[in-house]
Amino acid sequence: MASHEARYGVRKAQIHWEDVEAGAELAGFELEIKPRRVFLQVSGSQDWYPVHHDPAFARKAGHEDVFMNTGFLQAALVRVVTDWMGDAGFLRKLSFEMRRQQRPGDTMVCRGRVTDRYRKDGEGWVELDVWAENEREGVTTPGKAWVVLPSRG
Amino acid sequence: MSVAERYDIEAVRRQYIGTEIPQARGRYPVEHDAIRRHCHMVDDNNPLFLDPEYAKATEHGAVLCPPSGWLALYFASLGPWPAVFEPVLPIVPTPGKRIVNMSQEVEWSARIKAGDHLSVRRRVADIFQKGISIDREAVWIVAEAIITNQRGETVCAIRNTLLTHRTPEEVAAAAEEATA
Repeated sequence: MASHEARYGVRKAQIHWEDVEAGAELAGFELEIKPRRVFLQVSGSQDWYPVHHDPAFARKAGHEDVFMNTGFLQAALVRVVTDWMGDAGFLRKLSFEMRRQQRPGDTMVCRGRVTDRYRKDGEGWVELDVWAENEREGVTTPGKAWVVLPSRG
Repeated sequence: MSVAERYDIEAVRRQYIGTEIPQARGRYPVEHDAIRRHCHMVDDNNPLFLDPEYAKATEHGAVLCPPSGWLALYFASLGPWPAVFEPVLPIVPTPGKRIVNMSQEVEWSARIKAGDHLSVRRRVADIFQKGISIDREAVWIVAEAIITNQRGETVCAIRNTLLTHRTPEEVAAAAEEATA
């Protein structure tokens, strides 16, 4: 049976508000958009609208190919944040725009960067830019996130 | 008469902006396996979302639902099968039936845990017409959703902007009809 670490990876230490600096980069990750990923997208989002899995339907609508859906893109941006903020962090707000598409053949690169940190209502807030990009179109899905992190002591 | 001439955006705005969709309750509570599938699609191996034993030992005491508005809406309204998407769309008449989601904003008030039972209230916040490259008569719909848990607490508010458009064939047919 796989160990906990083998299955879930090594948990990094909880990040605290005091440790965060504007300009810091979030690790992020990359995902290749292959047919398997397209099917995982449908399974994981339960979005059966054919423009996201049926190339003929997508082309008839004027698109070049199927493209990844909102649920998938949101899950990816959320993962950028939750991988970074740890178990005690709280994602308070996320906004993002689907400006361009992630399509089969693309490698979707998801990243984030700290833009500000401040205290509000006694809590430690951090503002982040988060985004998905690919080589073909640059930034496809720009977003902003607001996170509350625990404080030391 | 073309579709564009028949379509009266101002009448649609007057009739449908502010329309509220009665509260709906998710068919099932927030489930482990739907969370697993959601995480799997983006290779998210976070044990707080996937491992009940790990999550139980954290301050949260249970597996959390990843903070995705999409997933919250799924648990609150859609259920696993049959999938019915964008219940806002059919109530707002539009020239085109093809849809593209353009943006989403999700504001969280509380975390969602496995076993919670979610409900949603929806409202049509705005409707406007703004052309895109393939359809000058594209219609945009802004919908708001408030998601609550079994205790009646608001867990998140979602604001979604959806674009509806015609296919290039439909646009060409309408243009031909208009000049006939």
